[in-house]
Amino acid sequence: MDIATYVNSMRDPAGLPFYPIVFQFLLVLTFALHIIMVNLVVGSTFLAIWEIWKRDSFGLRLSKALGRVITVGMSIAIVLGVAPLLFVQVIYDPFWYTATTLSAFWALLFLVVITLAFYAGYGFYLGNRRAEVDTAKTGWALVAAGLLLFTALFIHMLSMEQLMPQHWKEWIVSANGAVSYSGGEFHGVEFGRLLHILIPSFAVTGVFLMLYAAYFKDRGDYDPEYLEYVGQKGAWMAFWASALAIGAGFWWLGLIPQEFHFARNPFFLAGAILGVATTAYIGASVYRPQERAIPSALLMFLTVFVMCCAREALRMKHMSQAGYSIYNYPVNADWPSTILFFATFIMGLFVLYFPAVAAFEAGKVRSGQIATLDPSIGRKAVSAMIAWFVIVAGLGIIVSLKNGVLF
Amino acid sequence: MYPFWEVPFFTSGMVIALIATFHILPCHLATGAFWFTVFVERKAYKENRPELLEFIKKYTLLILIFCFVIGSLSGVGIWYAATVASPRGISGLIHNYVWGWATEWVFFIIEIASIYVYYYTLGKIDPKSHLMMGWLYAWAAWISMIIITGILAFMLSSGKWVETGGFFDGFFNQTYWPQLLTRTALMFCIAGVYAAIVASTLRNKAVRKELVRAAGLWGVLGMLAGLAFTAWYLHRLPAHAKELWLDQSLPYLGHLLNVAGISYAIVLLWFVVCCLIRPKLAGPVSGIIILIVLFLGIGAGEGFREGARRPYIIDQYMYGNQIVARDIPAKHIKAEVPKFNKEGFLSHLFFRPDKINPDNKNQLIRAGSVVVHYQCGNCHALDRFGKMRPLKRLLANLEPESPEDIEGFLDSLGDYPYMPPFAGNELDRKAASEYLFSVVVRR
Repeated sequence: MDIATYVNSMRDPAGLPFYPIVFQFLLVLTFALHIIMVNLVVGSTFLAIWEIWKRDSFGLRLSKALGRVITVGMSIAIVLGVAPLLFVQVIYDPFWYTATTLSAFWALLFLVVITLAFYAGYGFYLGNRRAEVDTAKTGWALVAAGLLLFTALFIHMLSMEQLMPQHWKEWIVSANGAVSYSGGEFHGVEFGRLLHILIPSFAVTGVFLMLYAAYFKDRGDYDPEYLEYVGQKGAWMAFWASALAIGAGFWWLGLIPQEFHFARNPFFLAGAILGVATTAYIGASVYRPQERAIPSALLMFLTVFVMCCAREALRMKHMSQAGYSIYNYPVNADWPSTILFFATFIMGLFVLYFPAVAAFEAGKVRSGQIATLDPSIGRKAVSAMIAWFVIVAGLGIIVSLKNGVLF
Repeated sequence: MYPFWEVPFFTSGMVIALIATFHILPCHLATGAFWFTVFVERKAYKENRPELLEFIKKYTLLILIFCFVIGSLSGVGIWYAATVASPRGISGLIHNYVWGWATEWVFFIIEIASIYVYYYTLGKIDPKSHLMMGWLYAWAAWISMIIITGILAFMLSSGKWVETGGFFDGFFNQTYWPQLLTRTALMFCIAGVYAAIVASTLRNKAVRKELVRAAGLWGVLGMLAGLAFTAWYLHRLPAHAKELWLDQSLPYLGHLLNVAGISYAIVLLWFVVCCLIRPKLAGPVSGIIILIVLFLGIGAGEGFREGARRPYIIDQYMYGNQIVARDIPAKHIKAEVPKFNKEGFLSHLFFRPDKINPDNKNQLIRAGSVVVHYQCGNCHALDRFGKMRPLKRLLANLEPESPEDIEGFLDSLGDYPYMPPFAGNELDRKAASEYLFSVVVRR
């Protein structure tokens, strides 16, 4: 059996419940959102340590603020990560399942390590939350940073193994015919690619600091000098990290098989152009970080999204070498469940407006003051949830009665 | 077939079971806790009692630290564990219910947004809006349970799906409603235990007593409702599952139910005695003991659910060893056992020795090891010191005198109501028998 026969025969017999390009788009979009949050967590953790080491009052204050970013960001990153994890299993199932079972031990160790990293993040946040203004401890942040790097390595390895189907069999079936079931394979680490994912952590965190400075500038109880310090630090960090990320990107490009001609790929070209443009724009914004925060954030998001498209294009190139294309995956379209998801997704965006407004308004008032929201926003959000429940429960009762399974 | 991952002593299936059991506590707490939280917050505003808000802050922080670390990661952990233990099983679920999971994900996003905003804006936004944020979280969390229960119920009773292949036909099946209501009742019980533990640490004695009692009442009511729904759930089990349980085909199912029942009684007693009658007795120590009891009870209950669907991992559709059990014409799916019986199991494997000479005993045993790992290893420990349904010991009890004796046993596997049939041709059977005989002889 050759590798093409294997990967194509391992597609799920049920086929796809909708067209593959839709899953692919959702995969790339949700991965972009996930990786931005991951970058924010990694960058914030390292920056929090650095700012404490510097031992000045602005640095300590910023470091403590980042403690909250680390914990909240990690929660959001994990939840956002569920979606790409789901969609990759739908269209790239033969690759995902093979690589993960080959490295089962590492896949499960990843969970242990990320859990410990999360608690270390909480240790840092809660440990310093009540500390005196001029003191802070880095111990837990150092632990979290180290563990986060391990998780990055594990996930990078799992991604890379998916791109190496030609080696799968030799990893676990020895020449004398013995088969290994240990799940301990660890292959394919490419530092160029890993750095291209990790270095933007500092760029994303830098842009976040610019937004932070811009957001709090109207609040009277925030020292303008502190906000200026944060904004400029963010802009400089974003500029240098973006420039370095471009360098790492070209290093990665050099590791890609030449026959892919990936330097001519339109997504790669667009990503590279956007990366350079974003770097230049942020470079020109270092002395006006608060004014330029929102355009910088939009450019950064666009760059990350297009780079995620380029990453997807590269994956398709790798997989086409194994005779695999998602576009000829058999489809058994299931319209009712597809409608359920997209209708819920739209409703979700509407509902999320409420917590978004609440968070925004609460952060805008001075300490000790209370923000008053339009009560109809919350009422509508909760009503939408109840409506969803009534519709789906009603549908469930009808289906159950029709199928005779209710009583 | 995907590569096989072997877990010494306990099997990979136990890894899923352990993570899944561990996931239930935080995830049911996450779904149930906020109904109690908004109840307390509403009371605080209505009766103008700001002292109750200390509980809100503490309880929400516990939910954040416990549910949104352990809960969310163990949820992802179930996926990872299922991926490495039963990749075709989880693939089968995902390819039928991807939109279900994606819909649940939307509610996860709402949950995480609303709980963080709820926690960090207490005292920073107006009380009405804050309370509404609590309601938003409570609904989002419960709806996520409404969705995932459909997929879990599908694994136990796939319903009309086997005929129609329709998403909702499989989702709203015969065990869906009783299972949803049972889990809903259980979530109030778990929320009650945690609420009582947190309330018992409050500084204000009167508030402490009042909230421990309230948490106890929620727990008792949840558990009493749970009793009725559990009875309905057991009544609605598929006939095959009832047979395994009531006809003693699998006696351990009865034992698991007993453990679950005893745990249930202990927790109910704790609520009555330590929360309602003598609230002083509720505290972190007794609470943590009760959490351990709950953990055992949940593990037993989930173990029963998993055992009752044997020999399938997805009812009627896929066997525990990840082989497709029947045709699903609506999805163009073909049963795989006839194909493997005709064309051979080994010949369809990618991760196998290249050379298999039936006349070479060593090669045959190596090939047999591959067949046995794939077809038996999900449920049976294959290593020498295996503890989970160890094949070595089970086969030794049959006292086979030759590989041919084992071949005969393999032929009859499908006669056991809880075992998948052996899938393979003459060569596969011969190879598996040689390997299994070598395992018994090695004792």
